Amino acid sequence: MKGLLKRWSFWCLLVLAALALFGTRLFDALPEAEVAAPFSKPLWLDRSLPPTMDLELSGGHPAAELDWVFGAPSRFSLRVETALPAPSRFVEWTIPGGKTFRLTPLNRGVELDGRDIAFKRSLGLPPFGDASSALFPERGTYRIGLSGEGEWEGSVKIRLEGGRWGLLGTDQRGRDIAALFVAGIRVSLLVGIFATLLATFLGTSLGLAAGYRGGWTDAVIMRAVDLLLSIPLLPILMALAALWGKGLWQLILILSVFSWMGTARTVRALTLTLRDAQYIEDLRGLGAPAGYILRRHLLPETLPVLLATMTLGVPGAILSEAGLSFLGLSDPRVISWGRMLHEAQSFGAFTAGAWWMLLPPGLGIALLCLVFLDLGKYLEERVDPRLRGGNVL
Amino acid sequence: MIDIRNLSVTYGRMTSEGRGSQAAAVKNVSMTIRKGQFSALAGESGSGKSTVLMAIPGLLPPGTAVSGEILLDGKNLLALPENELNRIRWRRIAIVPQGAMNSFTPVLTVGRHVEEVLSVHLGLSRKEALDRITPLFALAGLDGELARRYPHELSGGQKQRAAIALALACSPDYLLCDEPTTALDVITQRGIIVTLKNLVDEKGLGLLLISHDLPLAASVADRLHILKDGELAEEGDPAEITARPRNPHTRALVKALLDLEEGS
Amino acid sequence: MSGYWARRTGSALLVLGLVLVLNFVLFRMMPGDPVASIIDPNFSPEAKARLSEVYGLDRPLPVQFLRYVRSTLTFDFGISFLTGRPVVEELKSRLPNTVMLLGTSLVLSSLIGTWLGMKAALKRGSLLEKCVLWSGALSFSFPSFFVQLVLLMAFAAALPLFPLRGTLSVPPPAGGLPLLLDYLWHMALPVFSLVLLGFGGWALYVRNLMVKILGEDFILLARARGLPERNIILGHAFRTLLPPLLTIFLLSLPGIVSGAVITETVFSLHGVGRFLLEAVTGHDYPAAGASFFLLALLTVSCNLLSDLLYGLTDPRVRMERGGGR
Repeated sequence: MKGLLKRWSFWCLLVLAALALFGTRLFDALPEAEVAAPFSKPLWLDRSLPPTMDLELSGGHPAAELDWVFGAPSRFSLRVETALPAPSRFVEWTIPGGKTFRLTPLNRGVELDGRDIAFKRSLGLPPFGDASSALFPERGTYRIGLSGEGEWEGSVKIRLEGGRWGLLGTDQRGRDIAALFVAGIRVSLLVGIFATLLATFLGTSLGLAAGYRGGWTDAVIMRAVDLLLSIPLLPILMALAALWGKGLWQLILILSVFSWMGTARTVRALTLTLRDAQYIEDLRGLGAPAGYILRRHLLPETLPVLLATMTLGVPGAILSEAGLSFLGLSDPRVISWGRMLHEAQSFGAFTAGAWWMLLPPGLGIALLCLVFLDLGKYLEERVDPRLRGGNVL
Repeated sequence: MIDIRNLSVTYGRMTSEGRGSQAAAVKNVSMTIRKGQFSALAGESGSGKSTVLMAIPGLLPPGTAVSGEILLDGKNLLALPENELNRIRWRRIAIVPQGAMNSFTPVLTVGRHVEEVLSVHLGLSRKEALDRITPLFALAGLDGELARRYPHELSGGQKQRAAIALALACSPDYLLCDEPTTALDVITQRGIIVTLKNLVDEKGLGLLLISHDLPLAASVADRLHILKDGELAEEGDPAEITARPRNPHTRALVKALLDLEEGS
Repeated sequence: MSGYWARRTGSALLVLGLVLVLNFVLFRMMPGDPVASIIDPNFSPEAKARLSEVYGLDRPLPVQFLRYVRSTLTFDFGISFLTGRPVVEELKSRLPNTVMLLGTSLVLSSLIGTWLGMKAALKRGSLLEKCVLWSGALSFSFPSFFVQLVLLMAFAAALPLFPLRGTLSVPPPAGGLPLLLDYLWHMALPVFSLVLLGFGGWALYVRNLMVKILGEDFILLARARGLPERNIILGHAFRTLLPPLLTIFLLSLPGIVSGAVITETVFSLHGVGRFLLEAVTGHDYPAAGASFFLLALLTVSCNLLSDLLYGLTDPRVRMERGGGR
């Protein structure tokens, strides 16, 4: 057990599991929410692009200054929320050099967008293009504030959408990729673990039955193994997913139905060797029912091997789910890494050059697989010498 | 003759703790193997007999500590580089390994093995090599037809004889046999021993037979050496040793065997 | 010997038969209108009625099944809903591309992988060996579509060295050599990606197997016979490696079928894999059923072939399975 603590994969798995469970709390918005412009780059990528930022003005905080060292933001929007409108007061925008624009009076329910023609006309701008390039003509210090004096209940929310957002940028719908990545851990872990669990359960039951009973049971089960192994996995997954539904649980079920064969073979082989052990013979002679022997003796013998096999089987399930999602055959409402890659390919990440959409999910899948492979190897190593030494009396 | 002087061998063993005890498998053994002489090396399992045999053609695993000398025609085999050793192997010194050892490559026919050594060492063509197979097999008491078989198709006794035939392919001066009769039935055992004896008498081979079967070794050898725990406990004329063992261990051994024979 | 072959072939036929049943069930007994799985639902009711008669959809199920088996075995797969052309035609135009893609990459990755694996086994503890040990895990863990997307973005989008999509340029160049070059140019990245993803597993497997073989007695005894290193490595070690290697080669064929689906999707190639995806997502049941059957047929044949060939290359198996039992 101590060896487990020394392995990087163990800690990695803990971190990922923690992120899967609590990670969404790290973000303000839901993963599906649009937080910035589509294909925004990560913050650290291109410092010349403006980041997406939100400003808020209120009665107590009537002005703000911006040291603007970027180009113009891609989008400018403004919203006034108040119960008490003050139509004589305005939101003023001062550019370097002193020129001031009056953006809007402090009326109730004002929603401005830099693309609105009316808004542009009110500023004296041509009806084409985004107002933000006119509002942000150069680098320098900008000031935004409320004209007039006095108390005012309400807030002005300004949103400047730049080309940058967050740790990993945004996708084609402006969703935060970091948030999507964290949300995706869940699906991968869920599908990976449950599908393998189910497959192991199926495989163990059938393997024990085949090995212990022999005869017809054995023949039928082994035939089934041959048949299922002859069916190419991805095509059948595709067919079943497209024809019987793209839901997550359907996927887990289908995956397990086509993954139990390896476990069954291993368990069967183990059962065959253990079945003829002396103490099993003795138990049978004493009249112990098959179920008892299987449950209390044979099953525990197989458990160490099963744990290792299961851990090594998880990556397969993860990759299958990712593959299916990538092909578009998964539930579009469910966020998964494969799905993210599907959307990257189908919705223009290439033309936008948005490589930050590609790397996180892909690397995530690889990392998760490597983690389970390493853990599986560790379990295998621990199981092997014990098996050889023999738990059998 | 093969002159083994002060041979000591320690296997490089690594225990799970890292630095473990390294027991010497062979300690300061000296002996000679002469042509035309049937020498035997006897001892219990684990006494180091096989190690001595494997040391001669330089077949000990890498990382083994070896000291002493093994002289052949004045050259120390332990100090020879690999390419020179390869010229001596099989042409001057050939080995017949333990029956349990898989001496043949499973995917090649037995005859192919013979062809290969004939071609590599003696430069024979395929046809010339094929011609030699039948008489060679006959020397070992086998039908030449068996050369076409794969190793797993031969019985234990046949495989052992085939290994002898293979060893004789390049007409070596010395033949080192490691327990060639273990795991075989008594009749086959006898047959093989007789074959070996004939080879010594008729061809003038220098033969070293390794066995844990002391009576067998004593009955057939011209010269007997006994190893105990890696050290040479006794050596000399087999009859002498049986009648007048010097070493206390040998004495006990001989007495035990005599008791067995007298039938208790 | 013939007993062994007969049994393996019989087994394969049984499996194929079961695949046919599975196919029939899958693609005909759909939730909803069973007729919709054979006759395009967009046809007029009169057309549907007439076609129902032609296809025998009013007959009892067992009869339908027999008709299905007969038409499948004669490669009469019906008309594709999406393209309106016979499915056989569609498959015929796509199959060569898929075979080229899979065949080339399999051969290349197995050759490169075997070579690297052997080198790694011979140079234990070297950097090469460490890389080989890692390459197996890495090539398994990185999803193929991810690697391919990255390659595509790097070498076709960012650096326009290779085409972004397609098997041939549109319009394709005229003449033999320019056409061939255009084809190779389009296939370069897909094949490269598959080889990159594939050689690691091979190298690791070969390395492990080779290490095991080199530790065997018969290798030590080959050395005892004074054979030069080259003879031992090639004539004895590698020769012993061949039977399992060949088996793995053939057994991996069905697996790379999945690779075809994904690769053809990423690179938009005109192949059977992408055809299957389009058929499946487009509910083009005749096309989907046919593609699926073809892939199952490929899988079964490869398994059978590998069983038979293993028996041929490994003399121990030949005798064990053939004689006496």
